[in-house]
Amino acid sequence: MSTFEEIEDRDGVRLSWNVWPNSRIEATRMVVPIGALYTPLKEREDLQPVFYEPVTCKPPCRAVLNPYCQIDVHGRLWICPFCLQRNQFPPHYKDISNVNLPAELLAQFTTIEYTLSRPPSIPPIFLYVVDTCLDEVDLKALKDSLVVSLSLLPQQALIGLVTYGTMVQVHEIGYGDCPKSYVFRGTKDYTAAQVQTMLGLSAPVARPQGMASAQPANMGAARFLLPVEQCEFTLTSILEQLQRDPWPYATDRRPLRCTGAAMSVAIGLLETCFQNTGSRVMLFTGGPCTSGPGQVVGPELKEAIRSHNDLEKDTAKHFKKANKFFEPLAKRAAEKGQIIDVFIGCLDQIGILEMKALPNYTNGVVVMADSFNTAIFKQSFIRVFTKDADGHLDMGFNAMLDVQTTRELRICGLIGPATSANKKNERIGETEIGIGGTSAWRLSSLTPKTTVGVYFEVGPNITVQPGTRGLIQFVTHYQHSSGAFRLRVTTIARNWADGISPEIPASFDQEAAAVLMARIAVFKAEIDDGPDVLRWLDRMLIRLCQKFADYRKDDPSVFRLPDNFILYPQFMFHLRRSQFLQVFNNSPDETAYYRHVIMREDTQNTLIMIQPTLSSYSFEGEPQPVLLDSVSIKPDVILLLDTFFHILIWHGEHLAVWRKQGYQEKPEYENFKRLLEEPKRDSQDLLADRFPIPRYIDCDQGGSQARFLLSKLNPSTTHVTPAAYGQYGGQAQPGQAILTDDVSLQVFMEHLKKLAVSGS
Amino acid sequence: YVQELEGAAGLPWIAAGSSASTTPTSHPHPSYKTCTLEAAPASQAILNKSKLPFALVVTPYRVPAEGEPPVPIINPEQIVRCRRCRTYINPWVQFVEQGTRWRCNLCYLTNEVPSFFDWDSETRTSRNRLDRPELTHSCVEFVAPQEYMVRPPQPCVFVFVIDVSFAAVASGMVATAARTILDSLDGMPNEDNRTKVAIVTVDSALHFYNLNSALSDPQMLVVGDLDDPFIPQPEDLLVNLSESRTQIEALLSRMGDMFRNTQQSQSALGGAVQVVFKMLQPIGGKIVVLQSSLPSVGPGALKAREDPKLLGTPKEVTLLNPASMFYKQIAVDCSRAQVSVDVWLFGSGYNDVATLSGLAKHTGGSTYYYPGFSATRPDDAIKFATEFSHFLTKPLGLEAVLRVRASRGIKMTSFHGNFFLRSTDLLALPNVNPDACYVIEMEIEETLQSGVACFQTAVLHTSSNGERRIRVVTLALPVTNQLGDLFAAADVKAVTTVLAKKAVERSLDYKLEDARDALVNKCADIFSAFKAQSGGGGASAGQLLIPSNLKLLPLLTLATLKNIAFRPGPQIPSDLRSSALALMYHYPLEMVIATLHPRLYALHVLPPQAGLPGSDGLLVLPPMMNLGSDRLERHGVYLLDNGREIFLYVSKLADPQLIQALFGVQGYDAVATGKSALPALQNDYSIRVQAIIGKIRQTRLTMFTTYPHFYVVKEDADPALRMLFMSHLIEDRIDSVWSYSQFLGHLREIVAK
Ligand SMILES: [Zn+2]
Ligand SMILES: [Zn+2]
Repeated sequence: MSTFEEIEDRDGVRLSWNVWPNSRIEATRMVVPIGALYTPLKEREDLQPVFYEPVTCKPPCRAVLNPYCQIDVHGRLWICPFCLQRNQFPPHYKDISNVNLPAELLAQFTTIEYTLSRPPSIPPIFLYVVDTCLDEVDLKALKDSLVVSLSLLPQQALIGLVTYGTMVQVHEIGYGDCPKSYVFRGTKDYTAAQVQTMLGLSAPVARPQGMASAQPANMGAARFLLPVEQCEFTLTSILEQLQRDPWPYATDRRPLRCTGAAMSVAIGLLETCFQNTGSRVMLFTGGPCTSGPGQVVGPELKEAIRSHNDLEKDTAKHFKKANKFFEPLAKRAAEKGQIIDVFIGCLDQIGILEMKALPNYTNGVVVMADSFNTAIFKQSFIRVFTKDADGHLDMGFNAMLDVQTTRELRICGLIGPATSANKKNERIGETEIGIGGTSAWRLSSLTPKTTVGVYFEVGPNITVQPGTRGLIQFVTHYQHSSGAFRLRVTTIARNWADGISPEIPASFDQEAAAVLMARIAVFKAEIDDGPDVLRWLDRMLIRLCQKFADYRKDDPSVFRLPDNFILYPQFMFHLRRSQFLQVFNNSPDETAYYRHVIMREDTQNTLIMIQPTLSSYSFEGEPQPVLLDSVSIKPDVILLLDTFFHILIWHGEHLAVWRKQGYQEKPEYENFKRLLEEPKRDSQDLLADRFPIPRYIDCDQGGSQARFLLSKLNPSTTHVTPAAYGQYGGQAQPGQAILTDDVSLQVFMEHLKKLAVSGS
Repeated sequence: YVQELEGAAGLPWIAAGSSASTTPTSHPHPSYKTCTLEAAPASQAILNKSKLPFALVVTPYRVPAEGEPPVPIINPEQIVRCRRCRTYINPWVQFVEQGTRWRCNLCYLTNEVPSFFDWDSETRTSRNRLDRPELTHSCVEFVAPQEYMVRPPQPCVFVFVIDVSFAAVASGMVATAARTILDSLDGMPNEDNRTKVAIVTVDSALHFYNLNSALSDPQMLVVGDLDDPFIPQPEDLLVNLSESRTQIEALLSRMGDMFRNTQQSQSALGGAVQVVFKMLQPIGGKIVVLQSSLPSVGPGALKAREDPKLLGTPKEVTLLNPASMFYKQIAVDCSRAQVSVDVWLFGSGYNDVATLSGLAKHTGGSTYYYPGFSATRPDDAIKFATEFSHFLTKPLGLEAVLRVRASRGIKMTSFHGNFFLRSTDLLALPNVNPDACYVIEMEIEETLQSGVACFQTAVLHTSSNGERRIRVVTLALPVTNQLGDLFAAADVKAVTTVLAKKAVERSLDYKLEDARDALVNKCADIFSAFKAQSGGGGASAGQLLIPSNLKLLPLLTLATLKNIAFRPGPQIPSDLRSSALALMYHYPLEMVIATLHPRLYALHVLPPQAGLPGSDGLLVLPPMMNLGSDRLERHGVYLLDNGREIFLYVSKLADPQLIQALFGVQGYDAVATGKSALPALQNDYSIRVQAIIGKIRQTRLTMFTTYPHFYVVKEDADPALRMLFMSHLIEDRIDSVWSYSQFLGHLREIVAK
């Protein structure tokens, strides 16, 4: 059997369980549900799309022909493994034989991509929505980035511009005589129909006699969205001339910023002109919405934006109303295949909590930078336009993911940046996990990293022999950035086993399981109270240990987990204390942001988020991964911490002193200089394909920035640890005391063992 | 005797010593201010008996005619006014107590004479107080000091609201308007470099322009939210003309082309005016509306309500009144904020002049109407461009109030004209238009004791150069308690003007027929009263007894009845009628008379001096002719000037040599008929006729912003054109309306009863 990673590399799939129990009861006893982390556009250099149409089963099944189908080359028949219907091969397959099979029937093509012959849709659309309530420096930086981005877009891509402050302006970049824009009140929530009328897209037209009936070229939506190659010059000059919002505001007030109205107009514009075609609405905002629909804070500075505390006590004045505005707006956008990205250039909160449905439903990106004049914004923004080897943008648009199962396996739902496509059939399970009640989901955008968690359950009263195979087919229909429509089909097969068979625990992928459980926990946390979610996680962990560990009742001392379970409790330990579930050290916006990111990344990245990696560099030997634990803190090492969101280089006390004294500049301390540079070089590697660009921190032991490291470490030595207590404030051996009341991993494990073995 | 219409009225006869100075300038030129009666009735009883109207006709800010001296502008150490009634010192005060005090000629309080009247403290020399223009001129303009201002004087502000719907663009209005504004930028009032300009274009949406001088291009901002139209940007829409000159020019030079592809048939004028009003509310200014299509969307949308079935019926009046109160309401708001609106209409179809002219009516603005305008006809384009350019470059009076005072015992009862009445004697005029005229009716509240009655109007305004100015016009009249003197003092032109303006109000408040009846009855009443006064002596039974100074009253009354504003019948589209009514209401006396009684000149018998400068340097016009077709000779060539149009009538038998000289063509048949222009030919005859036409046009343009159309009407021209010419011959019977002799007979009959 190949490793989990090899399978992932081939099919983009990782399953929590790779052998499935053939009874529903046994399946529920396994605690962690059968789930798949699927990366539909997983990059595969060896996978070249084929240029023909897929062969599909009769309606309503429509499963796609795959290597697991039984075929009858003489009868020119194939049997659909999902519905067991027989299908005739199409006429042009008449020459197939066991030695002449089309690609989709070959074993190595469990994942295959078809380029469909449907005429390519219009090229992707990019609509920039730009906040002008910025200070001069920020606005200038943003304008520069936007101008640069024009050269990164495909030349045929359509581009449009909406700017806003107190009011919303839709720029008619197709107008040749002078810069022209349509202005909307920032205080109003315009319907799509109103937007259409006010943009003159539906006004009655004079039919003067004797006038040629040909429509002039500058009519309709083409006035607002033009191919980059046609409007680059005009748009550049509009962007360069862009001024700060001209409406004055008092010094004790915030600028009036109508982010809600702007998004409503932008979404309305695309909705009217371009239905169901790939489009990205890219919002660039430098502060909270203070006016009109979606307002998150009042214009008076003395009114502070809501905190977690306000939310918990239900005293956040604008929260519910704003939520109620953005949520349906996000649904509208998702339904039409629009992607909403949010780029933030602001030190404070801007209300991403209220707006989160926009990127979450549409798989847009969120980039949180302190200003638009930072590398985090500038580089992350450019990274959106990364291209593949053929020069096409690394993004798919307007996708529909269909999941098909053999009939013993039922679909519970999906957790990821998607919305339900409301496709009902008999494969939908009773249990709902995440976005359920459907076997298909919309994803407005796909990147090679976009990963969804799909959850399954074993159907009731099944009769399936151990050793036979169950199948799952993922069919992703999407618009490639070249404009062509594509279909990626991944079909996977796993064995059924008797419920008590050891094959089942042996097939456990603890990393996939941790990520799948993390997604459920975060999904729950978005709805439920934090403490409930933590209790649920604990309960699940204890039950998993009870089920799969070796132990004697009431004797924790001999408790032992199988090797492929051993890291799982650690993941849960870190997940419990992560920013995804613990909100009080973060602002509500940060929480919303972290949760947004964890819902879309692949397994490896998600694991880093749950349990950051820590490497230690010293004069002795090669750098090595070390425990994410306070014991790793030593005065003569450099630590490199990667939390996915932050990359931190920490210098032990001694090295910090040397560095301050400039030893690295002296030729005789060449090796010190090398030591300092090594983690920097490695961090560059980590940054290479990370999105968004992580925050980079360079700090010294005892410096204020070091708290970022300490907060992530397992507090094996804390100020309440008796052994270290006496040295509080001094240097603890072997690590450093961490000021926290959190329990350490060791304590956590002790508790876990105790609870697992107690016969409750 | 129609020539008498040309003559100026004589000076009122007032006892010597009534005025401080005895210069002729103690009396205002009657064009500034005149009274229907050149002597004030001592009591209401004798006024009632006379049936004559007692009213002032005031055009305080008129442009002086060619050859007239300008109004003296004075910047005294102190503006001297009566302590009690605040009358400005004027030639009609009396110096008393050895000249140390002056007695107010309105309330008779004595006030101290300030020392600077006799002593110049700077040069330490004595002065002659009678050198002061305020004591020698009845019409003066004071430069007001600080205390006359509630805020810094308003700059000149022009906001152009230009219709850019399909109809407007196709007619060439947009291109012509833009080009004219562009060409007039240098001439627009801007001495103080404070003049501000904004340009708004309108179709189914409102387009504003950011004209910030730092921009490389003007930026267009479109507001499509007609439910709730708004100002799209707090600044840079209304910009300083000098600072943003480049942007303004860039926009105007493109405007003709910018909308070339428009398919918009709608117009959202109402919303545009609402927003522009909001924009101007803090500073006041002038809104210039240029509109081709009927406002059809958003606030103030109108319906094409013209209904030919109603024309000529009592219900016609509904079409002459506003269709909605929207424009009147916003006009009243504008007036309060010192915003005036001038309305330029260019209808190819129905324009609803009745409703849209309300914007001008209540804000002191003017309405200009160009039915069927098409810039492809050079004549239309030149007329509009000339008038518009003059309009843009003529002097302006802003944020004005007009107050009227009269000698004790005289009370103002009603006011007529384009303004907003702020209190019983205070008219708010966001804009003092040189073309505008106001009528103030009066009563005698208590019998006048003094031998002289005085009337003073003061217009406080901001002049184009940013100064606060007060134009003071004082009129003095002798007082009489003799009914005969009162009749002898009636000024027929002023009486006609007042009656015509009141007829406009009656037409709209009741119906046209009522207005016509009232005109006839008033005329008859006056003659009945005169007959009663003179005891019928000396006249034979069948003769109509008319005081000689009123002998033109029947003719002018008949002319009023036949004017397009009041003429009965179903032929006059309501837009045309409304426009004529609006003009009649707005026009100063000279224009009212010129419109009612066109001037007819025989060109085939031109007197030797006509068309050449006279001894006073002014062009000599040929003698005026009576307006009867029986006066037209079979070989005649005539010029008719009705104030707004000039007709050149050519008889079939006209002298071919004359035709050659005038038109440069061989014979009658070669003459083109219709709207056209005369070729400038180098012969004496042509030069003189051109000079006459030029003089008429120049006068109309400088004084009333009108550049008359020129029509050549051949005797056998198309019937409509011929009818148009003939309709001016008011002594003829036209349709159902009396000929002059019939009318005199009719009056005779009534008076005889
Ligand atoms: Zn099937
Ligand atoms: Zn007085």
